Amino acid sequence: MSELSATVMNLPRRDAQDKLRGRTKYTNDRVRPDMLHAVLLRSTVAAGRIRKLDVSAALRCPGVRAVATGADAPGLYGIGIADHPLLAIDTIRYHGEPIAVVAAETEKQAREALAAIVLEVEPLAPVSTMAEALQPAARLVHEGWRGYEVITEGGARAGNIAWEAKSSRGDVDAAFARPDIRIVESSFTVGRQSHVPFEPRVAIGSWEDGRAHIQTSTQVPWTVRNVTGRVMQLAPGGVRVTVPPVGGGFGLKFDASIEPITALLARMTGRTVVLENTRQEEMATCLCRENAEIRIRSAVTAEGYIAGREAVVLMDCGAYGGEQVFLTTMTAHTLGGNYRVGATRLVSRAVYTNTPPNGAFRACNGVYNTFALERHTDEICDALGFDPMEFRKKNVLGDGDLGATGQVFEADVLGPMLDRMEALRASTGTSEAKADGRLYGIATTVGTWFVFVGPSAATVNLNADGSATLVTSGVEIGSGTMVQSLPQIVAGQLGLAPDQVIVREADTDAAGLDVGVGGGRTTVSIGAASIAACAEVREKLLRTAGEMLQTRPEDLVLRDGRVEITGRPGSGMSIPTVVAHAQATTGPITGSGAFTARNTPAMSGCAMGHFIDALDIPVFVVHEAEVAVDPDTGHVEVLAYRVVQDVGRALNPRAVMGQIQGGVVQGLGYALHEEVTITADGRIAQDDFETYRLPLAQDVIPVAADLYEGAPSMGPLGTKGAGEVPILAVGAAIGCAVARAIGKPVRQLPLTPPRVLRLLHEREPPPEFPHIAPGWASNTLG
Amino acid sequence: MTVIFQLNGEDCRFDGDPMTPLVDILRQERFLTGTKAVCREGFCGACTVHVDDEAVPSCLKPIGLVQGCAVTTIEGLSSGNQALHPLQANLEAADAVQCGMCFPGMVMSLSAFVRDNPHASRPEIKAAMVGNICRCTGYERIVDAVADRLEQARKAGQSVGGIHV
Amino acid sequence: MAPGVERSFTAASTLEEAMAARRQGAAVLAGGTWMMRDPRRGVDLPEAVVALHRIPALSKVEIEPDHVVIGAAVTHAVLGRALHAAGFEGLLTAAENAANPGIRRVATVGGNLCALDFAAADLPPALLVCEATVELETFEGPKLIGISDFLKDRHALLAEAIVTRIHLRRDLVASAHIRLPLRKAGDYPVAIVSLAVDKDKRCRIAVGSVEPVARRWTALEQAMAADSASAFDPERTAGLALEHNDFQGRDGKEAEGWYRRQVLAPLVKRGVAALLKTGRLV
Repeated sequence: MSELSATVMNLPRRDAQDKLRGRTKYTNDRVRPDMLHAVLLRSTVAAGRIRKLDVSAALRCPGVRAVATGADAPGLYGIGIADHPLLAIDTIRYHGEPIAVVAAETEKQAREALAAIVLEVEPLAPVSTMAEALQPAARLVHEGWRGYEVITEGGARAGNIAWEAKSSRGDVDAAFARPDIRIVESSFTVGRQSHVPFEPRVAIGSWEDGRAHIQTSTQVPWTVRNVTGRVMQLAPGGVRVTVPPVGGGFGLKFDASIEPITALLARMTGRTVVLENTRQEEMATCLCRENAEIRIRSAVTAEGYIAGREAVVLMDCGAYGGEQVFLTTMTAHTLGGNYRVGATRLVSRAVYTNTPPNGAFRACNGVYNTFALERHTDEICDALGFDPMEFRKKNVLGDGDLGATGQVFEADVLGPMLDRMEALRASTGTSEAKADGRLYGIATTVGTWFVFVGPSAATVNLNADGSATLVTSGVEIGSGTMVQSLPQIVAGQLGLAPDQVIVREADTDAAGLDVGVGGGRTTVSIGAASIAACAEVREKLLRTAGEMLQTRPEDLVLRDGRVEITGRPGSGMSIPTVVAHAQATTGPITGSGAFTARNTPAMSGCAMGHFIDALDIPVFVVHEAEVAVDPDTGHVEVLAYRVVQDVGRALNPRAVMGQIQGGVVQGLGYALHEEVTITADGRIAQDDFETYRLPLAQDVIPVAADLYEGAPSMGPLGTKGAGEVPILAVGAAIGCAVARAIGKPVRQLPLTPPRVLRLLHEREPPPEFPHIAPGWASNTLG
Repeated sequence: MTVIFQLNGEDCRFDGDPMTPLVDILRQERFLTGTKAVCREGFCGACTVHVDDEAVPSCLKPIGLVQGCAVTTIEGLSSGNQALHPLQANLEAADAVQCGMCFPGMVMSLSAFVRDNPHASRPEIKAAMVGNICRCTGYERIVDAVADRLEQARKAGQSVGGIHV
Repeated sequence: MAPGVERSFTAASTLEEAMAARRQGAAVLAGGTWMMRDPRRGVDLPEAVVALHRIPALSKVEIEPDHVVIGAAVTHAVLGRALHAAGFEGLLTAAENAANPGIRRVATVGGNLCALDFAAADLPPALLVCEATVELETFEGPKLIGISDFLKDRHALLAEAIVTRIHLRRDLVASAHIRLPLRKAGDYPVAIVSLAVDKDKRCRIAVGSVEPVARRWTALEQAMAADSASAFDPERTAGLALEHNDFQGRDGKEAEGWYRRQVLAPLVKRGVAALLKTGRLV
């Protein structure tokens, strides 16, 4: 039995029964009567100066045990730059920003005490849009930006530009000056997307033996640990984070937010404190997928060769830099992906505004850049008269092609995947007949994404009852990695059944560093660390067994819970026998393993301000959508949806299919229904389920998917992350299909019925960006 | 005000504000946290319970209106060591669950639906799910599981649902 | 509510009991699906409420040969199951598709008519084309009022009254209720067109959600009556709708007024097609 055949299976989820019975205790199910309840005082203006903040009366209110303000946790945190206070200090930068927090015996008492806080704010005119923020005379959202601690060196920054990343390869000016090319230019704008995890951000903090202990609904226990230590200025190791099952994350919980506040209040009161966002708070302060503005120009020959390409991507980070600082990196790999391009230069800027801060959302940055790139590709085809499918087949990245940062891609992957899409379409047939008199469109699009590798650690303890305990900082957010792929991997390595593998939920006191669950990395990074840990366990196990069996360890295999002599099934002895012997002679059998990125090189000088210069594990997708558009009302119905996804190796094909269905539907929400707008006074207008329209059962269809295996991957057993990427090209496929159906350019998402009807009636003005200079270089900090 | 009602087959007494939403009493006083308070406005369905055998959102149900009613929560649907409700078993078999937070409400809505609609079509199943949002799964596996349940029940010639709550 | 004050809750068994509570200032609690969201809107719940669900007379749907009576405490779901009487297809569609199934099992007819700020309510346009009569119990006794006048004046009327029943004549040949949510269902419709045809083949049309309060589309009704040649031709009627569109669309987060106005003619077209499909217009 090979390692692979012992690992690949459609293992059911061990957490399904409890979840179906309502027994699973998420963080917000763990509130106990003896806990204090914390409630935040949030700003009701988008920008201002705090002139007075007096909490003394609130402290005297019934049931109140503590009130904290920014002065109680003065440290700043952030990604790349430390610009974010836990509670506003002197300056208010967004509507909804936390200013103070009350902990009381009941939530009602805490809310009543909020009214007793004296707050005087001098309002300032908010910088509401990126266009305003980039005006030369714009007020600075962060007056003191120069003084912030830079955590990661390398990005250019200035004023309202929180971070700028550039990539540049080849002579783009020369490419655009060629006589044999035509230039196609497109502009796109996209709104925010709210994650809407069913469990909002919630944390329970306590103070135990002089240290903070936070139970929280997070994807990043180590980030929460580090940020809490930083803002509270605690001694190293002063924070422990444990993570119960998480009721949905999708990237929202990839940053610390309210967690440190509970630790602060726990230290002040000596009590356990719970803080949970109401749904309104959760949606009004969601760290959304950012709104973005994209201008892209390409120089294309009559033969269909993309000689040159340049683009400016503006990403609204809101009031604080957060993930967008990091995500500026991704433009080189998403907008700079998909196609072979002669020379290319891309700049991506995270821009401060007085709006709620944005964050990470499944295939962050990639979703809208793929929409822009694929629509731009269709506009090239329209302008030059190419067939869109043939143009893609001719130009998609293949073996030896260069990415935007000069990375060399390995193997032909996208090309064969396009062929597989045609085969999939042939097997399913098309659905044009279902359009029933409405406007019909079909589009095939491609996308490039990656696995966010980075450090992970794992420990495996082999127990005398034959079970193994896997200890990592992994978190089960619903994707199944902790209950499916990881136990499968460990079982496959140790000759166990997956149900013999116990998976410990994240505890930063028990497991080593991990950068978190996101970027499709858990199966790859924690999986690889687990395999390394299993290698040490195997080695110890086989050595002990070898002594007991008087056989060389290299002649032994682990199979079906036994140590067997190679080629002699049923020989040898059971693993518990060996473990018991080891425990009595050399000690318990444990192994530890670690993994991190291999840092695939970029071409020298091509990447500036990047957190990742090149992709260690690229991931590709091909998505195809068929739509019908009602010309009377602008409603878009998705008639069929097909996916070919590069999975490297599918360890649990059924689970991967479940991720694809769920990810595509989130993408349909982004493409068609989910709209976030910012009001004149800087609020997110859609802060409830009445106005923020998530896709419902009637709005979706079964996705037909083909898993493409065998593309190169440094992931364990050839795996790539499969949960992140299904959302990547949905906006692209829907946008292109709708554009073809209505015969008008689609340059904005979401395609709500009113927007589509405006497009049909030519009432939708195309995006114009006066704040993006005509010359590419004028949009950079040099 | 005092409100007396049945909760998962036992008498239950509540003293307090009659406009308190039922979901808060379930979660905060009875620690029945399987009922989830997600949107609190009747759109998501995660707080669905049965009141006198009807699946209704408990977030908009003032406890005063529950006087004399029989309330069943997800914990009462298959309690203790009992087997899963057949619909739960179908959902498990379909590998439908992801984060899992919508499922208690989904099960409460759809268990009543399969009981009352043994011949429902796939579009009818979807129409019945309009008030139950799932952010993870993209729904189709849940629809599959309900369709499987109905088909198995029809084949077995039994009354659908089996468990009357 | 002031601290220490206990909220008063009356589950009235009779209309008299309900009116007594009402005189004391109690607000009427129907299914609760609108009122229970008040705290979310920044509005305190009333200090005293009176619930009507225990008054048997208000929880019945009576279908008689020449009329139908719907109790105010009847839920959408119950109405949907009970209302199988030819001519009321539109009202049935409204009852069976409003909001979502869980809400429909709780929300009542009376509650839907009395939610003052709910522009997208489904029942008002459907009842407008039925030319329903609303029965109120006032401090001075029972009172009957046409649905149009009720909707116009309900803010004042409801200060001293309870909606008890809805009376419908069975004079309709066919009706239809076309609603346009932005998804397939589940959100409030951005526009609603209800249509009904009486025994004289006159068409009544009402529009909901486009303006703050639903109203009859008199201009279109008159144009249809004057244009006898149109004879329920969907395209031609849609053309008339375009010509006689006198609605001021309200701007909302989900749709601007332009869109609500713009979709009316197509919804009329669908509505006429639905009427034809009943096969009762010949």
